[in-house]
Amino acid sequence: MKIWRYLLAVLVLCAIAAAVYVVHLDRIVTTQFEGRRWTLPAQVYAAPQELYAGEALSAPDLEHELLRLQYRRATQLDAPGSYSRQADRFQINLRPARFADEARAATILNVDSNGAGITAITDVTGKDVAIARLEPLLIGSIFPIHGEDRIVVTPQQVPPMLPAALKAVEDRNFDTHHGIDPIGMLRALWVDLRHDQWGQGAQGGSTLTQQLVKNYFLDSRRTAGRKVQEAIMAVLLETHFSKTDLMTAYINEIALGQDGNRAIHGFGLASQFYFGKPLVELDLAQVATLVAVARGTSYYDPRRHPDRALKRRNLVLSLMADQKVISQADMQAAQARPLAVMGRGSGGYYPAYLDLVRRTLRRDYREEDLTEAGLSIFTNLEPRTQELAEKILDRELTRLDHLRKTTGAPLEGSVVVTAPQSGDVTAVIGGREAGFDGFNRALDARRPIGSLVKPFVYLAAIETGRYNSASIIQDVPVSIKIPGAPDWQPENFEKHEINGPIPMVKGLALSLNLATVNLGMDIGLDAVRHSLQRFGIEEDPPRIPSLLLGTFELTPLDVAQLYTGLANGGFKSNLRAVSAVLSADGKALKAFNLDVAPVAQPEAVFAVQMMMEQVIQRGTGAAAQSILPTGVVVAGKSGTSSDLRDSWFAGFSGNAVAVVWVGYDDDRVTGLTGSTGALSVWDRLLTAIGPTSVSSVMPESLHPVTIDFRTGYLPAANCSPEPVTVYVPLSFTPPEAPPGCTAFGPSGSAASQPKAEPSLLDRAGKWIQGITH
Amino acid sequence: MPRLVPLLVMGMLGVQLSGCVIFRAPVESPNPTTQPAHPEPGYSGQPASPYPGEPATAAPAPAPAPEPATPAPPVATRQFHLGTAATALVAQAHRQATAGDPQLAIGSIERALRIEPDNPLLWLELGEIHENAGHYDQAAGMGHKALQLATGDPHAQSASWHLIADSLKARGRNGEAAEAQRRADELVPQ
Repeated sequence: MKIWRYLLAVLVLCAIAAAVYVVHLDRIVTTQFEGRRWTLPAQVYAAPQELYAGEALSAPDLEHELLRLQYRRATQLDAPGSYSRQADRFQINLRPARFADEARAATILNVDSNGAGITAITDVTGKDVAIARLEPLLIGSIFPIHGEDRIVVTPQQVPPMLPAALKAVEDRNFDTHHGIDPIGMLRALWVDLRHDQWGQGAQGGSTLTQQLVKNYFLDSRRTAGRKVQEAIMAVLLETHFSKTDLMTAYINEIALGQDGNRAIHGFGLASQFYFGKPLVELDLAQVATLVAVARGTSYYDPRRHPDRALKRRNLVLSLMADQKVISQADMQAAQARPLAVMGRGSGGYYPAYLDLVRRTLRRDYREEDLTEAGLSIFTNLEPRTQELAEKILDRELTRLDHLRKTTGAPLEGSVVVTAPQSGDVTAVIGGREAGFDGFNRALDARRPIGSLVKPFVYLAAIETGRYNSASIIQDVPVSIKIPGAPDWQPENFEKHEINGPIPMVKGLALSLNLATVNLGMDIGLDAVRHSLQRFGIEEDPPRIPSLLLGTFELTPLDVAQLYTGLANGGFKSNLRAVSAVLSADGKALKAFNLDVAPVAQPEAVFAVQMMMEQVIQRGTGAAAQSILPTGVVVAGKSGTSSDLRDSWFAGFSGNAVAVVWVGYDDDRVTGLTGSTGALSVWDRLLTAIGPTSVSSVMPESLHPVTIDFRTGYLPAANCSPEPVTVYVPLSFTPPEAPPGCTAFGPSGSAASQPKAEPSLLDRAGKWIQGITH
Repeated sequence: MPRLVPLLVMGMLGVQLSGCVIFRAPVESPNPTTQPAHPEPGYSGQPASPYPGEPATAAPAPAPAPEPATPAPPVATRQFHLGTAATALVAQAHRQATAGDPQLAIGSIERALRIEPDNPLLWLELGEIHENAGHYDQAAGMGHKALQLATGDPHAQSASWHLIADSLKARGRNGEAAEAQRRADELVPQ
């Protein structure tokens, strides 16, 4: 009988061990699940589309913006997220939305828009609305290194069809079982056989609770032990928590897709990921699609395997109809619908811009704050501008590759667009394949900027007070001694071209190297470096004469900072990608306020802007005229690095600054100048954005004068002049052309020549001494 | 923001002296009546501070422009006003500022600036909010930006100099503040 006592003891011990184990699991289940908080990646939003009477947002453009936000067109006004349109009248039921400065409830608006723009906005009572806005487009999130991204929804944000569908397909007895469902398991086996889905699991064998446990508490190993643990924990969960809690947890927890290294978790994010709209707005067919995907995220991936996904979706719908969750008619209607999943490219995925956002925020936030704390990040991205820039860059690079008969790796390019008066960054394209999260050329590719530096040479010259746009400068050969190196003898782009004495405006418009070097050596390199510093480059360019021709390297974003200052009349605003950060509970954490500081004489900047207009009117940017809308005046500058490796164009209209770089990643020779490469992206982009003319106001201390572009004299009728308007101090009047139509003598005999000064070479020599001693 | 109120009111009433001529070159010819009422300091062929009225701290204050015997009344060539949307946002900003939330007010004006970035009245509003919030450097920057855009509108120019003067005074730069104040008063005699 001893053996019985022994067995009893073993049994008791086992029972105690089992009890301890269950208590242990119970503690895990209650503590972890009770205080359950998903780590919430920061959600990143684009700038919202403003709506106001007088705005140049035509009816087609307005509709495009609504469709970008996946608003549904209805014949009659419907739930939030829908609109109706009769000719020029839109009725929009705006979704509830969170902005940087307010939370807005769903709102109904009447918007009248014709071909030119919005003419009136009224509310439901017919009262005028001065200003309103669409909700900001969700453009991405900052998810942690292990890649789990999700949007958490509350039960109110879940369409009732979703739990119903999940129950019908995954767990028919969810409402009544206690965590495990042996009968359901057998039935699932039977359904599999009946629907000939053996091995693909038409119906799940484990309950939703078990699936939740598996996802929430356990790793992916599948052992008998795990299975037992899963079952025990499922039962424990059921004893502690309500069915609603468990269903909500399931809806937020489950994986529903993969996007590179980003795992799409929860139906809330999946709805945005596949349909671009809030979960609550999904229709029956869309809900069924997500339920289908939940069964196997890669096998039923609706983008990669639409046939499988469609078949599975229709099975979900039949199961729902079988169980009278939906009617036969609803089932048939939903089964007739296409999958209608958004293409990957159209999903508002802008990795290069997000990269800039991430870098901005990492200065102020810890990684965990960004990936876990549920922050809302509001940015200045304009989806329309961004998408235009992506499309135009790719199209033009394809054309240029074809034209250049590129062999090997194709041409690359990058674009940065900003708002001139605020420094808001509205678009960033890091490479030709804009949707690819790879090398971000806009932020990381440092290239020689070539002649993009020249406006700062001319600006520095005018700021000395010794030069104005009509001053005569010398486009003549120059040789500069460099200690320990051969003399530097720059040439014009057209080698051996020598123009002699010319007005400043011609030197800048035609991007003449000799004229610019002579001018720069006269005012001194430090004046130019100081000018660049004030406009905001991070690193001082080296103090060598070739800086005057832009041999130092900058990124497109750096160039955008410099040119935004020029466009802004000599005011520096730090470029801003992020406008505000809100905490998970909607409190403003940090504002990135508009800041503006004067960094140059407004008169000098105005004169340079007007000379940069001549770049487009008659200089290296003239090709843009055939592209830009007639009558719109813009300003810009080309840049080409030595041996035609980098092709740049940077410039601005009244409403946008754009910087374009084109080149090869491996620094091969492109055969393109700024004018034959980057310009064709720049002018098409500006045109697509809808440019306004440069709107600078002439300072009161300047006046416009007309001179002969070739000589700098007043235009003389008998000399077939090429008149150009430049802006000079009130005290300055250009000299009359001498008889015989000669140019200014090389010795500088004309009256407007800066007063007698040492010869250029002497000055250069002195200057060299200046830096070598 | 008492100084701006009359400006705004006039703007909303649509008072315009000679149309809102935005000078555009070379498409339009400049308004011949545009005369320099007061040349900007520093631009007289001499290297000068790039910041009118606000020289680099190390540099001596610029010599004041020679005082004309009888200041010529400035010629207004335009008068700025705000559009409906911007007016609504400015009103909202005033409510937010009064309620003690300058950050929200700043957000509202910045929103208006996205609609009318070239309107000096908005830069003045933004500058006033920063000034009242103690952000004097920002306020000065806004004042200078407003001044640049206000060319041709003596009232807006004067308000810009007032803002610059206030921001200088707040930073203890009383000499420069007095000079800025003098310019403000010349443009619109008190």
